Amino acid sequence: MIMTFIYRGIVLFVLAFVVRCMFREKDFWKQVTAALVILPLILRVLLIK
Amino acid sequence: MAWKPGGNVQTALFLIAAVAIVAFGAARSFVSMWEMDTIVPAPGFEKHMLSEWFEGIKDTPADTPVYIQEGSEPGGTVFVMGGTHPNEPASSLTAVLFLERAKVHKGRLIIVPFANIMAFTHNSPQEAHPQRISFTLPDGSLRSFRYGSRATNPIYQWPDPDVYIHPQSGQELAGSERSNLNRAHPGTPDGALTQRLAYALRQLVMAEKVDLAFDLHEASPEYPVVNAIVAHEKSMELAAMVAMELEISDIPIRLEPSPKNLRGLTHREWGDYTDTMPILMETGNPSQGRLRGRTDEDLVLTGADKYYAWAADLGLLFIPYETDQPIGLRIARHTSALMSFFDSLAFLDPSKEVVVSGIPAFGELAENGLGPYLSPLD
Amino acid sequence: MNWFWPEGLFAFLMVATFVFGAFSFKLPIAVAMSLAAVVGGLAAGEGLPVRHLVEGTFGYLDTILIIATAMIFMKVIERIGLLEAMAAWLIRKFKSSPLLLSLGIMLLIMIPGMITGSSTAAVLTTGALVAPVLMKLGVQIHKTAAAIAMGAIYGMIAPPINLPAMIIGGGIDMPYVGFGVPLLICTIPLAVVTALLLIYPGLRNKVRDEGALEGELRRMERVPITLRLFLPVAVLVVLLGGSSLFPSVFPSLGMPLEFLIASASAFLTGSRWKPVDTVTEAIDNALPVMGILMGVGMFIQVMTLTGVRGFVVVSALALPAWLLYVGIATSMPLFGAVSAFGSASVLGVPFLLALLGKNEILVGSALSLIAGLGDLMPPTALAGIFAAQVVGEENYFKVLRYCVTPAVLTALWGIAIILGAGYIAGVLY
Repeated sequence: MIMTFIYRGIVLFVLAFVVRCMFREKDFWKQVTAALVILPLILRVLLIK
Repeated sequence: MAWKPGGNVQTALFLIAAVAIVAFGAARSFVSMWEMDTIVPAPGFEKHMLSEWFEGIKDTPADTPVYIQEGSEPGGTVFVMGGTHPNEPASSLTAVLFLERAKVHKGRLIIVPFANIMAFTHNSPQEAHPQRISFTLPDGSLRSFRYGSRATNPIYQWPDPDVYIHPQSGQELAGSERSNLNRAHPGTPDGALTQRLAYALRQLVMAEKVDLAFDLHEASPEYPVVNAIVAHEKSMELAAMVAMELEISDIPIRLEPSPKNLRGLTHREWGDYTDTMPILMETGNPSQGRLRGRTDEDLVLTGADKYYAWAADLGLLFIPYETDQPIGLRIARHTSALMSFFDSLAFLDPSKEVVVSGIPAFGELAENGLGPYLSPLD
Repeated sequence: MNWFWPEGLFAFLMVATFVFGAFSFKLPIAVAMSLAAVVGGLAAGEGLPVRHLVEGTFGYLDTILIIATAMIFMKVIERIGLLEAMAAWLIRKFKSSPLLLSLGIMLLIMIPGMITGSSTAAVLTTGALVAPVLMKLGVQIHKTAAAIAMGAIYGMIAPPINLPAMIIGGGIDMPYVGFGVPLLICTIPLAVVTALLLIYPGLRNKVRDEGALEGELRRMERVPITLRLFLPVAVLVVLLGGSSLFPSVFPSLGMPLEFLIASASAFLTGSRWKPVDTVTEAIDNALPVMGILMGVGMFIQVMTLTGVRGFVVVSALALPAWLLYVGIATSMPLFGAVSAFGSASVLGVPFLLALLGKNEILVGSALSLIAGLGDLMPPTALAGIFAAQVVGEENYFKVLRYCVTPAVLTALWGIAIILGAGYIAGVLY
């Protein structure tokens, strides 16, 4: 259980930086790439999937 | 022709909104799998929870219903476990059929229809399985059951280790196998939930002095151990009698000895760690195979698939396959093998006889499918 | 009942969408891949299968966490100056014995792959470490990248950890036991040949500008190499090595956590680095590949949903016996376009089933070797694209050119092992 907690933290950490990169990105399609990565990360952080 | 729109904070906010909408839609679909299937146990069954045999899974998602029916006369104890792998539907549905129809006259019948209940709440990524399959009852109503995954849902047990080491043998397997109930036996009282679940099941088998224990499965038609009984050394004599009887009834079935070096499976570990005679049985399920074409509810129910038909022509399959492999037929195979085992148990030891009625015969199930034998919901 | 209709059409539409998106519209690979998945779903009458698209991405969730954290680790050891200092040290130490140096560097590239089972980890750790060294020593830039990519793949396949072999074995319930020697047979000869082909000629080249090299070395050594500077690498080696060499006693933290702990230990090295900046740069660099894997996940799920997967698999298996081997040698690397792991899972298992009766461990090992080539296959080319990135080459195809010879040798070697499995097993066991 403790590992699940730590790994949710890691996902949240990565997620935060992916979002940061998305907001700093100047190319729309690269923003879309970031959005694709955000999708599963957010559902895993919330333990929905 | 390249189209290179610029990106800025506004487009990022727009995409965040889009992600939120898609994630919400997907989440609703995923969460819909969390709801338990409704079952209608036949009169005489008493409902328990597996945690009564092992406190360590109480109030965890691993705790699963156990149904027990005792006959009026004493006899042996038989344990039927379905749903080790919820992507093998004939397994849990055979257990459900017994649960909804069986009348026990002699001995005791213990049924766990959803053994790894933590694997019923999601589907395996990239397998594109339907979330549910439905059966039409004679009164026109529908009963639906979840089609789950082979592995425990990661929301209960994550991350997988890089390598899964079977605790008792030290055998190394791919890390994802830690979430596979049928690599977790005989289980450990601490550790990950799937391992504790296996431990709880072993406690049940030991405490209830189970004479004969079944773990029902399905396998891909291209997998050599299919339409088969896998038996531990202890159960081999009994299994041989049953295989012969089925052969005579024109239901050919393979008989495989449980490999000694493949650890963590029921047929090996229950045999080595408890007094029961374990039996694992497999039917052929095209919807879990790697050769299947379009994947949908229809494929799960009928097993009709043109790529399997082609593979059969090429001689790649281990089941007789012409155009289909309906779930009624697969449940019928499990059902008649189980009934044959019950009968044969008395030959080994008359005091262990188990007599069960109310179960449809092979021909009826294969002909009519499962629907007519399920009870309508109120 | 027609084998091609309509699944063949769906396959064609998906591939066409991908190719148009990626090459004509110059969309990022990840976006082109996802669009192809959407088109496949629409064509098959599934509408916009949101659940399937999202579910498919979860097949690679763990993988993208490894990529993200491995990239963070790489950026950290770059920022603290360790990479350059160490490269300089290696050059000084070994530049006089080219043969040993080429074999040693090849082994060095392989080690992280052997331990982690991931070619990406190999490219991004020791691959990135030796890249500047090789180039300064006179190995041509594209050959350097090719050597790193090939070494990373051999490392991924070499024991003790080989994920494609575990995936293939898992498909027929074969435990991952007894693969050590067969996997060494699969990889070591190829690694030696590749080192001799790609690295050795460059190192023997005496016409390098010693003055410029010396100046470069001085520049690289501006952060003095101390034991403390090695702390992140030491921590990583202990964590990765410990959990895979002594799995029963060492806690399995998982690669993402291990990379992050190793990165965090850089705070104790005494060097100055900006954490937020470093991590942002790392994630920014890793995003294209992470996105590709999300696209691949969607693509495979829709292939499965629409029956395209069955069409591809059974078509490959339907090849006549003599063509089966050609099929293995071509379809598995080609399918690797959606990653070596995808290839091992989708094609490796059926091929192993088609070859049952030979020694399964040797056949499984050889199939994993051939599946490993998938990491060279664009658009994903996990080993290749990252290798191009660590040498600073934008156009991966220039690197791929030099991978062709070792890759063909690899495929032939894999097939030879399958054909001779009975004989090799006789010698071994």
